[in-house]
Formats: sequence, C-alpha cells, structure tokens
Amino acid sequence: MATAFKVEPAEPVLSVQGLTTSFRVSGDWHAAVRDVSFDLAHNETLALVGESGCGKSMTALSIMGLVPKPAGRITAGRIMFEGSDLVSLDREAMRRIRGNRISMIFQEPMTSLNPVLTVGFQVAEALRYHRAMGGAEADRAALDLLEQVKIPSAARRFKDYPHQFSGGMRQRVMIAIALACRPQVLLADEPTTALDVTIQAEVLALLAELKQAYGMSMVFITHNLGVVAAIADRVAVMYAGEIVEVAAVRELFRRPRHPYTELLLRSIPRVDRHVSHLETIEGQVPSIAAMPAGCRFAPRCPLREARCDAPPPLAGAAHHVVRCWVRSEGGGHG
Amino acid sequence: MIRYIVKRLVFAIPTLLAVLTLVFVLVRIVPGDPAQTILGDQASQEALQALRQRLGVDKPIFDQYVDFIKGALVGNWGESLVTGRPVLAEVWAVLPYTVDLTVAAILLGALIGIPLGTWSALHRNEAIDYATRVISLLGLSFPAFVSGILLLLAFAIELRWFPVISAGKLDDPVERLRNLTLPAINLGIIMAAYVTRVTRSSMLEVLGEDYIRTARAKGVPDRAVIWRHSLRNALIPVVTVVGLYLGILIGNSVLTEIVFNRPGLGKLIVGALNQRDYTMLQGLMVVYAFLIVAVNLITDLTYGFIDPRVKHG
Repeated sequence: MATAFKVEPAEPVLSVQGLTTSFRVSGDWHAAVRDVSFDLAHNETLALVGESGCGKSMTALSIMGLVPKPAGRITAGRIMFEGSDLVSLDREAMRRIRGNRISMIFQEPMTSLNPVLTVGFQVAEALRYHRAMGGAEADRAALDLLEQVKIPSAARRFKDYPHQFSGGMRQRVMIAIALACRPQVLLADEPTTALDVTIQAEVLALLAELKQAYGMSMVFITHNLGVVAAIADRVAVMYAGEIVEVAAVRELFRRPRHPYTELLLRSIPRVDRHVSHLETIEGQVPSIAAMPAGCRFAPRCPLREARCDAPPPLAGAAHHVVRCWVRSEGGGHG
Repeated sequence: MIRYIVKRLVFAIPTLLAVLTLVFVLVRIVPGDPAQTILGDQASQEALQALRQRLGVDKPIFDQYVDFIKGALVGNWGESLVTGRPVLAEVWAVLPYTVDLTVAAILLGALIGIPLGTWSALHRNEAIDYATRVISLLGLSFPAFVSGILLLLAFAIELRWFPVISAGKLDDPVERLRNLTLPAINLGIIMAAYVTRVTRSSMLEVLGEDYIRTARAKGVPDRAVIWRHSLRNALIPVVTVVGLYLGILIGNSVLTEIVFNRPGLGKLIVGALNQRDYTMLQGLMVVYAFLIVAVNLITDLTYGFIDPRVKHG
C-alpha cells in the first residue's frame, strides 16, 4: 500500500534492468525490446521516444505483464517495483498490481473502452477489485474521479455508454480509470496521438496537473518531440528495440549525442527557420528478424566506422548516456 | 429501450405486408387454373365454377388481394381442401409441437454452443480447441435423418429410455418432455455445432480488442474479463446466426419430424404439397411469414438488449 511504503528520494520508484522481450517470428525468437534499462524517480516524467515499432509500447506492456502470449514473452531482465521483481511475480500477484499500483493508458480512446458497459461502471470497476468497495461506494468514488478529469456534468453522464462520448472525453475516462486507485506509476502510451491538437493540449495539461496532485511518476511514450519538450523531465530515445540515449530533456534537445537522436531532432519541421526541404533519415528500421549484429543504427548512420560492427554499450556520465562507439567518448557535439 | 421496441414493431408491419403480398403473387403466378388442377381433367364445368367460387379465384385480382390480406391478418385462412377443416385449426393443432422442438433445439444449441465456443477460443490452437472444431464440423456435416435414426436405435430401441414415436399427448408434462428429448437432441446437435463455431471465432476477435487489454490493465480478474467484458460483445454475431438459423430450423425440422413420427409444421407442409392442398399451402406460407417476421423482431430486440449502441442509434 502507498502509505506503508516509503520512497526514499534517491531510490527509484521503478527500475527496469536489462529487460528483453522477445517474439516468435516463424519459429525463431527475436528481441523486440533488447537490454532496456532505466530508473524512474519519484514524481518524475520520463519520456520514451522513438518511431513506431521501436519497442516503446512493448516496454510498457512488459512492465504491466501484458505481453501478448503465446507469441511474446519476457526473456531476460528484471523490473523492480516496491521491493519485488515484476517479471517473477505470478499472475494473481501481478493482477493485484495492475490498475492499482501501476496503471496504463492507451493510444486509442475510441476502441479502448468496452462498448457494452457504462462509463461509470468501467471507472468503478478498478475500485471494486482493488479496494473491495461495494457498488454504491465505488460509484461515488468513480463519479468523483470523472469530475476530477473534468467530464462536464459527470453525474448525468455516469450511466452513458462510451459511444456517446467524443475521443477527448473518452481519453479523460481512460485517465480516470487509470488513476482510480492512485497508482505510484502511470504508463501513458501515446495518450494524445489520436486526438485533435487542441484536445491534445488539454489532455496533456490534465495529465501534468493530476501527476502533481497525486505525486505519481510517469512514463510517457510518444513519437512527438514537441510533446516531449512540454511534459518530460528526462528522455530515453529508443531505436530498434534498444535505448540509444538517455538525458534530461533540455540537455537532450541542446546537445543530442547519438546520431539517431540528432537526426530525429533535425527532422522536426520548424517555422522559425527557413528550410528548403524536410530532413529525413536515410534507409529504414531493420526488421525484427534481420537485426544487425553490431550497432543497430549503423546501416543508416552517417558516422559509421569499422568498430560499429560490434554492439556498443550504453555509456557516459550518469546524467547523459549514449549507445554509440563514436559519440560515447569525449563529450557531445553541438 | 421502450422507444426502440416500438420502433422495431412498427418496422415489422411493412415487412409483414411485403411477405404476404409475395405469398399472394407466388400462389397466383403458378400456371393453370387451380380448380382444374385440384379436380382433374374430367371435372364438369359446374363443379369447376363452384370450386372457383369457393376458392374466391373468380373475383377480380385486386379484390382477391384485399380478401387475402384481411383474411391473413384476422386468421381466416380458408379451409383445407383435403380435410375440410379450417387451416388455422390444423396449424394450431401442431404448432405446440413445432414450438417445443424449436425452442428446445435453440436452448440446447445455446447451452452447449456458447460455453464450448468460449472454451475453445480461450484454448486456441490447443488440443481442446482442435477437438471442439472437429466435433462441431462433424455435427454440422451429419445429416439429420441419419443422426435421428442412430438416436432412435440407441436410446429408443436398445435402451428403451424414450418412445420410438414421439407423437404423444401434450397435457402430460413428463410425457411431453420424454417425447421431445430425442428430436430436440437431433436438431440441437446441429444448432450447437453452429453456435460453437460462431462463438469461437467471435470470441477470438473480441479477445484481441483494445478494451479487453484495458480491462486487464486495470486488474480485472480473468473470470470477469471473459464473462463480463468479452462474452457480451461476442454474443452479437451469435444472435445473428441463431436468428437466421431459427428461420431455417422451423422449415428444416421436417426430416426430424418424419424420423421421429412427430407432428409439426414441417410435416404439415410436406403433406399439403403432396396432396396439392392449395389453401393449406397458402395458409402455411402465411404462418411462416409471421414466424420469420417474429423471429427477426426477437433478434432485433435481443441486439438492443445486448448492445447499447443499437438502441441509441
């Protein structure tokens, strides 16, 4: 329970160590997430950034114990949370953590709510299972949550069904569900990607506000670097299933070190600079069954050298690590 | 919900009228003079004229149509040309048998098919799933008259648990149930096979939906994920199939009725066909029209009950 467990400021709330999640593709197991490690501090927002398919969502699903079976499974690593390793927990123990101590919100608000159950019931459900609340008590708490996520006239809409809500409102309901049990960690998987830009800003503001109010830590998954700048404290950049760079958000934007991060930042269109064309990164992400043995970015990298044929470690000073042979020595470039 | 029910009821009226019109047209476009067909080539002009009058086919076509629709709606469907009894009375006499058989087959189908399909989906590509799929395919491909005879041989003749002739009285509930059991199993097997397959595929689809992941992500136990979050969504296509199949079942029960020597609508219609009992046939087509419209209405209402998007839409 939250009150019984005291988090020391220095000790991470969540610590992912060497996580590898593999999928079976035509008989062979391939790592979709490879050797991913990061710590999440109390009340910190860590952005997990990368292209679609780079393993960001799978990292979050691994933490939740929701890797789709039997095609996928966690093959190595530890996920330390509140003194236990989530990877080794049994189903029931993991279920008691999900939606209670660690929650997740998803990208698709339109399809993430059950069409045949009322919105109020879906919010109250988490409380029934994790807090052993009775129907009326859970309903009251759920209504309070719907008000907290600013659903207009929540009491009147409590018994409405998801199809009667707009995308933005549904995502608010999802947030209410995720926060119902006041989790320690919130995993937000592209929660604003499917929304209109104005709604996006509202939902981001709501998330930031509730994070402060609840004292949560958050892993915010996105491919949108603009959103990262607005919400994150630290950023972990992922490429082809690996974390390639971790740094504080300002540090990363000012002094990116990994060539992939650099190219990624350069590919953001900007209105304050004249550009004749949009920057793109040459080549394509290697497929899961055909990963290079060495640095996974090497085939597309402009700085490629002979030593890149060996897999580089994540190295550097504690506040800024990078997985690159060329850039891990002697500081970053501007 | 009330508004939805009223709306469905109102929509059923034009459907019913259209079907009745179709029945009327079908009976009229059969070539030849019905009186001649019934009485044969040797019949006298007077006799033919008398029969035409009795059948009402001497009137202008529009009057015939009005008479027909009026008759159909108030239950005046004429008399059987063979027995001379009112068609409605003949239908009422066998309808309980048909309703018993149909309802029992549907219940068996749902009670076996839904859990089996769900179980199969939850163990996708495991031994249980393969076994269920093979068994349900077998159930589908087994002709009703073969399985009926096998059931009779085993349970009526060898074991003597059930009567060979299932045409007993309806007033004794025990007797009624004993008479119903074998025919209901015979039809129920096919129904269960259908429902199993549809439930399985529909359940597999639902289990892959985002909202099931959401349910798991909030820590809902497996049991509730399956029964509350998945099954209700998975039942929507099942209701469609059961509804469609119910219409076919009412007509197709004839083989089962013959094998078990049981009265029913199916047997009535085959008898009428063999004996060229035109009024009876026309009346039975009207009964079927009513039944099919009723089944569709029940299907629509069930949708509204399961899926909130339907009644609000």
